[in-house]
Amino acid sequence: MNDDLKLITERLDAGFKRLPQVRYQVQITDDPYDKTYNFFLNYQHRGQRLKSQPLHSIRQYRLTYLEQVVKGLREHTKLSIEYVGFTGQRWPSNQRLIQSRRLNVE
Amino acid sequence: MMNYQNEPHGVFFLIDNKSFYASVEAVARGWNPLKISLVVMSEASNTNGGLVLATSPEAKKRYHLQANVSRAREVPQDPQLAVVPPRMNLYIKRNLQINDIFRRFVANEDLMPYSIDESILDLTHSWQLFGKSPRDVAVRIQKTVRRELGLYTTVGIGDNPVQAKLALDLYAKHDTDLIGEIHYSTVPEKIWPVNHLTDVWGIAHRTADHLNRLGIHNMYELAHVDPYELKGEMGLMGQQLYAMAWGIDRSQLNKRRGPKNASLGNSQVLPRDYVKQKEIETVIKEVGEQVASRLRHHHKQAGCVSLGIGFSYAASEADGRGGFHQEMRIAPTDQNGEIVAALIRLFRNNWDGQTVRNVAVYTSRLCASTGLQLNFFEPAQAQIKRAKTDHVVDAIRDRFGFTRLVYASSLQKGGTAIERASLVGGHNGGNAYE
Repeated sequence: MNDDLKLITERLDAGFKRLPQVRYQVQITDDPYDKTYNFFLNYQHRGQRLKSQPLHSIRQYRLTYLEQVVKGLREHTKLSIEYVGFTGQRWPSNQRLIQSRRLNVE
Repeated sequence: MMNYQNEPHGVFFLIDNKSFYASVEAVARGWNPLKISLVVMSEASNTNGGLVLATSPEAKKRYHLQANVSRAREVPQDPQLAVVPPRMNLYIKRNLQINDIFRRFVANEDLMPYSIDESILDLTHSWQLFGKSPRDVAVRIQKTVRRELGLYTTVGIGDNPVQAKLALDLYAKHDTDLIGEIHYSTVPEKIWPVNHLTDVWGIAHRTADHLNRLGIHNMYELAHVDPYELKGEMGLMGQQLYAMAWGIDRSQLNKRRGPKNASLGNSQVLPRDYVKQKEIETVIKEVGEQVASRLRHHHKQAGCVSLGIGFSYAASEADGRGGFHQEMRIAPTDQNGEIVAALIRLFRNNWDGQTVRNVAVYTSRLCASTGLQLNFFEPAQAQIKRAKTDHVVDAIRDRFGFTRLVYASSLQKGGTAIERASLVGGHNGGNAYE
């Protein structure tokens, strides 16, 4: 397990409290300004405000590396992952689209 | 009419970031800063449930929130709204990046950072290199910042700094292009119609009340009083307000004045009422050590320490005062032990059992730390050893982080140093011991 993945999973586990009526989701953002991939834990109690907690930023700005981290993350958690800022980009291994459609707040 | 012929004429920009903290957080998440409803909320233990530090423009519009004033309980539970914790270090980093961009347009001495999200640029000598008009240059700067950092900036343009500031506050923030302009020729149409004095930079409700008592209720009236009468009534401030009403500002940015008397200090609001002497003294000791450590990092020694204590609401009602404040001259020092001893003495002299909610420690009369003043009453070796200890502790903390080495008293009930070690400006994000 590499350092990036270790930090992300540690902080994810600390924030994922499994409260009832709360939806938890991991958000991964492509940040073209800083050239990083930013990870967040988003959680929202039904009918309440969305809270978004930063987990980590990956400085290795390559999709092959991101794919490796996401693979590790998938083995660690079953939380769904939301991708933001990846419109038009494809995973290097299978050429599948990363983000199906652009959010209207992007 | 005023004769502006002899006033300084230049091209000044005052640039600020639209909802800075909120925009930085939105961009980091891939959201457009103008489209998303987002608030940055500090949930440190002393904020009484949460304090809104910044609000995105969309959230301001939708929920009528104000930054820095709104409490968590005033923020609606709307699923459309995102709440994020602050990251002060990230905002400082962005501020530095933005000022680096500005330095491509002006020389370093013509750039003056004014706050974490505002800078004053003197483009008098350089604007012609970048566009046909100052407004063109403003657009170009805005586009550069947006392209490289994803942030929106607001620009006030004026013939001097105060015009730029007023143009920013009064016009640019409401303009679709996010640009406002005031010049000597447009002062009557841009500044005088302002009806609420408190809309103007530098006038808050106390000054406004004072002006109201003098029969001045808007900027037009302020510009048409007798300046000598106003000076007689309000002193230098009156003169300055009158000059502002006419858009006059004679400050020269490249001739900067440092503060006459530098001081260095820290304060904190406590997360709950502190009643026990021991607990309060623990906090005073921690804050004192933090200030001493900062003195050593700046290679300064302090010749005066001051302690400010704020009482809890209940205690200040019973006592009649909000707290107390006293300062004391000491032999110049940067050592923990001496500074803390002076503070504890000040505290014991003044404290009479009141509940405490606020602790402030300041040092002044700073001088360069060139050596250690020995005294006759102890062996020299012991004194040197003690001074060295402080420096070794500093070095260990610089290298491995503050929490790696703490005094046992910080682990006792009431200590706040460990919790506060990662705060910047009282909010989440970074090392505050430098």
